[in-house]
Amino acid sequence: MYKYIIKRLLLLIPIMLAVSFIVFFITDLAPGDVVDIISGTEMSVEDKEKLREEMGLNDPFVIRYFRYMSGLVRGDLGISLVTKKDVFQVYISRLPATLKLATAGTVVALSIAIPLGITAAVHQNSWRDSGSMVLGLLGLSIPTFWLGLLMIIIFSLKLGWFPSIGNEGLISVVLPAITVGSGQAALTMRTTRSSMLEVIRQDYLRTARAKGVSEKVVIRKHALKNALIPILTVAGNQFGIAMGGAVMTETVFAWPGIGRLIIDSINNRDTQMVTGAIILTTMLSSVVILLIDIAYAFVDPRIKARYTK
Amino acid sequence: MDKTNVVTKSSVAASRKYKKNSQLYEIWRNFRKNKGAVLGLTVLSIIIITSIIANFVIDYETQIIRQVVPERLQRPSWKHPFGTDQYGRDILLRILYGSRYSLSVGIVAVMVSLAIGGVMGVIAGYMGGIIENIIMRSCDVFASIPALLLAICITTAFGANTLILMISVGVASVPAFARVARAAVMTVRDNEYIEAARAAGATRMRIMFTHILPNCMAPIMVQTTMRVGSAIITASSLSFLGLGVPPPAPEWGSMLSEGRSFIRDYSYMTMFPGLAIVITVLAINLIGDGLRDAMDPKLKR
Repeated sequence: MYKYIIKRLLLLIPIMLAVSFIVFFITDLAPGDVVDIISGTEMSVEDKEKLREEMGLNDPFVIRYFRYMSGLVRGDLGISLVTKKDVFQVYISRLPATLKLATAGTVVALSIAIPLGITAAVHQNSWRDSGSMVLGLLGLSIPTFWLGLLMIIIFSLKLGWFPSIGNEGLISVVLPAITVGSGQAALTMRTTRSSMLEVIRQDYLRTARAKGVSEKVVIRKHALKNALIPILTVAGNQFGIAMGGAVMTETVFAWPGIGRLIIDSINNRDTQMVTGAIILTTMLSSVVILLIDIAYAFVDPRIKARYTK
Repeated sequence: MDKTNVVTKSSVAASRKYKKNSQLYEIWRNFRKNKGAVLGLTVLSIIIITSIIANFVIDYETQIIRQVVPERLQRPSWKHPFGTDQYGRDILLRILYGSRYSLSVGIVAVMVSLAIGGVMGVIAGYMGGIIENIIMRSCDVFASIPALLLAICITTAFGANTLILMISVGVASVPAFARVARAAVMTVRDNEYIEAARAAGATRMRIMFTHILPNCMAPIMVQTTMRVGSAIITASSLSFLGLGVPPPAPEWGSMLSEGRSFIRDYSYMTMFPGLAIVITVLAINLIGDGLRDAMDPKLKR
């Protein structure tokens, strides 16, 4: 079991190396460099060139990449070009807001998706089924940022129930969480429905009914428990992605999380921050997804049995 | 004598027609039964036809981007059914004209990911071994970068314009296509007729692209349709962030971004472009769902 976990974690290392290489490579292609941005217009061309030489910007790509990576291992991703703050520190300071939004969004998603998905599966081909399928399809078709804008128009500008921007107190998380959650809910609901439909036809459910278990208990205890793994896999993946910053939602609601950090840094042409934030975000969401994946092995004896040999 | 001749002729003609169309016809017949899918197809056809007509009827210079200051920020009325924006431009006309951006970006982006991801997946699925490992591991790498962030990364590096937008949105969904194509190929590659083709001396390329590919089109086509919808959403998201189609082009995402500044007093500016996106994407997703059920009734649960 532990061998399996360690193996999975070790497998993540080459992927993360490759990811950071790709991100570093792509952002390196961006026109203009650090010197152009920090020096402004006053500096002469010779001085700029001198500064580039001093900062090692004229070194070959591979050398700069290795320098960057050795910094990354030590938690040193350089200094923001605009705010002059440490990239890693800024990133860490934005994490709690993103974690809060991702958690709240996942709670919203699960509390919409699981009941609807179960209802759809239990009453297959009824109006309830098609109703929830339409809702699911709608959820997949609405761009999150537009949904966010709509919620701002209705619930904060027209009705004045919630603040439209920022992260102050619990009430401010409601609209962003619904926005993040409804997109996730669509996919989770579809998975819940098909996973439940698969389980519902199993023999042991017939046995349970035959021995007199009530329909409610059959669905809740016998069916749902066994259908839960694919549902949680999808929900876990979505949580991992949301941990990587719900870029659009955070932009619309001016939510001070990672997604907005990345967009703000792009608008400020802060390449150092963008590179660092994207690499860290990818690592974070991969690790979260992996951890959730490993967690099943502990929860589900079927998966556990496969790896304890 | 005459009579029998006629009968055989017509039955031959009928069977020939049946054979020629059987697979496509079967899919179409299943598809037609699905009300949602037919609705989606109708709506999408209307949108496509509108965007073609708009090309001839609406003049870009005078009706789409010209600023008419006295008419700025007018609420929806008979003259301007969807109102006007902060430069006095008619929002309805801009939305009609803007359909071309979303449709073309969505379709081209998916073609990019289909061309790259599909080929990678077919090769990986058929060849197996080291080649499969290399291809699928590199897909893992790309898939672990959140799609929107990867697209953002590419557009910032190469500048915001429509072509870069298409490519970046397409590249971001390459891994998904590769995985679907590989899985589809793996279900087909061990069939007898592939072995027969190999025995007959067909080359690997020939087997991959004339024997295997046509037989695993169903999941790939469904994936393609579904992805057009999400590509349109990703593209309009990027435009909303200012990283896609640059203004003053009436791309729906950038129209929403402009409307956002006026959300407090002129909320209609953020309503209509968003509705246009939802209707288009919904139509495509309905078609995708219908295709999936029509091509593989087993998948319908």
